[in-house]
Amino acid sequence: MNENPNKRAIIVGIFVLVGIIFLIAGILTIGNLHQTFSTKLHVTTIFDDVNGLQKGNNIWFSGVKIGTVKKVEFFEKSRVKVTMNIDEKAQEYIRKDAKVKVSTDGFIGNKILVITGGSANMPAVSEGDTLGIEKTFSTEDIMNTFQENNKNVLAITSDFKTISKNLVDGHGSLGRLLKDEDIYENISNTTASLKKASDRAQALMNSLSVFSAKLNQKGTLANDLVTDTVVFNNIKNSVKELNQIADTAAVFIANLNEASRNPKTPVGVLLHDEAAGSQLKASMKNLESGSKKLDEDLEALQHNFLLRRYFKKKAKEKK
Amino acid sequence: MQSDNHNDIIDKGNSVISIRGLYKSFGTLGVLKGVDLDVYKGENVVVLGRSGTGKSVLIKILVGLLKPDSGRVEVLGKEVDKLQGKELDALRIKIGFSFQNSALYDSMNVRQNLEFPLKQNFKSLTKKEIDMAVEEVLEAVGLKDKVNQLPSDLSGGQKKRIGIARTLILKPEIMLYDEPTSGLDPITSIEINDLINDVQRRYHSSSIIITHDLTCAKVTGNRVAMLLDGKFLKVGSFDEVFADKEERIQSFFNYNFIQ
Amino acid sequence: MTKKFFISKKLDDYFIGIYNAYKFIGSFFKEAFKAPFHFKEIINQCYEIGLKALPLITLTGFVTGIVFTKQSRPSLETFGATSWLPSLISIAILRALASLVTALICAGKVGSSIGAELGSMRVTEQIDAMEVSAINPFKYLVTTRVIATTITVPILALYCGFVALMGSFVNINAHESTSFFSFFEHGFETITFLDIFTSVVKSIFFGFTIGMVGCYKGYNASSGTVGVGRASNQAVVLSMFLVFIEEVVIVQVSNWIRLY
Repeated sequence: MNENPNKRAIIVGIFVLVGIIFLIAGILTIGNLHQTFSTKLHVTTIFDDVNGLQKGNNIWFSGVKIGTVKKVEFFEKSRVKVTMNIDEKAQEYIRKDAKVKVSTDGFIGNKILVITGGSANMPAVSEGDTLGIEKTFSTEDIMNTFQENNKNVLAITSDFKTISKNLVDGHGSLGRLLKDEDIYENISNTTASLKKASDRAQALMNSLSVFSAKLNQKGTLANDLVTDTVVFNNIKNSVKELNQIADTAAVFIANLNEASRNPKTPVGVLLHDEAAGSQLKASMKNLESGSKKLDEDLEALQHNFLLRRYFKKKAKEKK
Repeated sequence: MQSDNHNDIIDKGNSVISIRGLYKSFGTLGVLKGVDLDVYKGENVVVLGRSGTGKSVLIKILVGLLKPDSGRVEVLGKEVDKLQGKELDALRIKIGFSFQNSALYDSMNVRQNLEFPLKQNFKSLTKKEIDMAVEEVLEAVGLKDKVNQLPSDLSGGQKKRIGIARTLILKPEIMLYDEPTSGLDPITSIEINDLINDVQRRYHSSSIIITHDLTCAKVTGNRVAMLLDGKFLKVGSFDEVFADKEERIQSFFNYNFIQ
Repeated sequence: MTKKFFISKKLDDYFIGIYNAYKFIGSFFKEAFKAPFHFKEIINQCYEIGLKALPLITLTGFVTGIVFTKQSRPSLETFGATSWLPSLISIAILRALASLVTALICAGKVGSSIGAELGSMRVTEQIDAMEVSAINPFKYLVTTRVIATTITVPILALYCGFVALMGSFVNINAHESTSFFSFFEHGFETITFLDIFTSVVKSIFFGFTIGMVGCYKGYNASSGTVGVGRASNQAVVLSMFLVFIEEVVIVQVSNWIRLY
């Protein structure tokens, strides 16, 4: 008699307790459950290093939260496979070739996954896709790079050290160039020969001048010769030859000019040598004065009464 | 015999309380095992018995504080255990219940204690009517000067009286007294006994008085019912019961006299 | 009549207790929305409860504000971010601490006194006395007190939050000489309506729990003075326990709401 109401009370009590437990358990897990209410997309990516990324960390795309990290697990040897829950709403904006990187929310904040890039012509990601990773520079990486940079700088400076030592010691082509006395002497000889040549040309001019002066003196052989057309032709030839010499000299000058532009040639180096330069200048001067005198001589030749008629005739023909 | 003086007002043909085959147990402990009792209009019935024999249980069943396991309990023609809500309240207003420890509301003073049942049950009463009713019952119990005191400032006998006054304010047809004289000195007990008789006369109420105090039983009871081992062994006038040769009844009386 | 237990005595009693509590809460809702409403008694109880808990809440709230600020400063100092203290503190206080501290104090102060009061009313038969004079003691005693705690605790929680912020301000003002207005400006920058709202809702639940547990334990106290003490003690223990569970559950729900 007494058992009946008690039995009912006990059963109701059990039901109430179970109901409350389920309610509380339900509410406590609802935080996770609500994610299953909105459809999610599962995308994976494989990192070498996730920098402390955890389950539940946020995923950003263009700075917008689009999902959370579902799972972080080891993959193969020392790699990490990260499974992401991505809102279906964001699916169409993420391309198959988008890159994922681990980043930090703020300066000292939580780790986040950032999805970036993706080209417009690629299709949108779909369930189960694996996205590529974008190499990021963790602090460690940055330090490593710095280390390498330092090493490189060290190597470069040590190379420089060797080079400058070689230069000083005169090893290597540049060093030899800088150090070899023979080459310098060769260059020096060349200019000296050039000077000699110009000296000779001057001497020739001088003798020519003496000769032409003798032409003006009546009764000399030369005078006789000039009156003769044969002699005149001879003179003309020799003038022609002289012209050729001057031409060759001009070519030589041009060559010299060209050579001087290239500092690597011995001439270039030569140009930096003041002594050689001044010598060259002097020889040029001689050459110039030589040709000037030649010019004067030729003028004088024109005014010579013997040749005046010929020139006048020539001028008339021109008219 | 003082009690015999009121036998004239008893209406033998009009039973206000009728109990038939009442059983009640708590857990494995059977307290009431087949109780039958009739209380007629205007009659004081004393239920005598030892402590813990279920006397209080009996009257608590009458007001619906406890539910009987089985049996039929009719109060003023209504089956108490079948009533609920407003009907039960309507019946309860007609029953006054004086508790063993008076059960005055500690947080209220005497006036508030008396007003409380009136105010809660009869919202339409004016302040003047309430004041008059309070004055009337305080006069009936003879404690007019204590109206603004807190229950904690009252003596045991005064508390009992205020407790009775609080039930009287609803003008009950039936009064139920639970150990009215317990814990009181003999002189105060006599005062309370007189008050019970006074109430009977004044309000023409029927009463059940639960007690183990023989003086009280003798003075207030028109009839005495002897409750022993969950049953009424003997119901009759005090002298009849006292004269009964039943062994358990005799031992009860002897025990009480020695005390 | 040999009584067989359904499972075992302890478990039986346990489940019967749950059933009784369930019925008790059920009858509260049944009675609470049914006339007559004891408005006067509700206001009376609100006043009593508020007055009882006010000094302790003022002190505790103030101390909580100061201590929490003091303890939070070093960790923010590490980042040189002590200017975030006001917002950090006001989030902590308004979202969690104010309602929790208030609930715990009220559980200790109000819950125990309700448990003791109703418990002693039960053992001295005052509740029976009410019942036999045709007054519904459940309605008059339980519903009024539960409604009163449900109303009062949120108000006390808001007050506690304010006092705690004042305590925090005093500490921050002493260290960083932040002005009153800039403290509150910074503090409330990060506070949303939802924060205050959930805090108030939480307090409503706490208040309801404290009132309900206190009333349940007191109302069903077993006879004797021991029963009163036990009722009062269990009211505190159980309501604190339930407050913590509710805190966890409501935080979960509010975070869920916050996402949308």
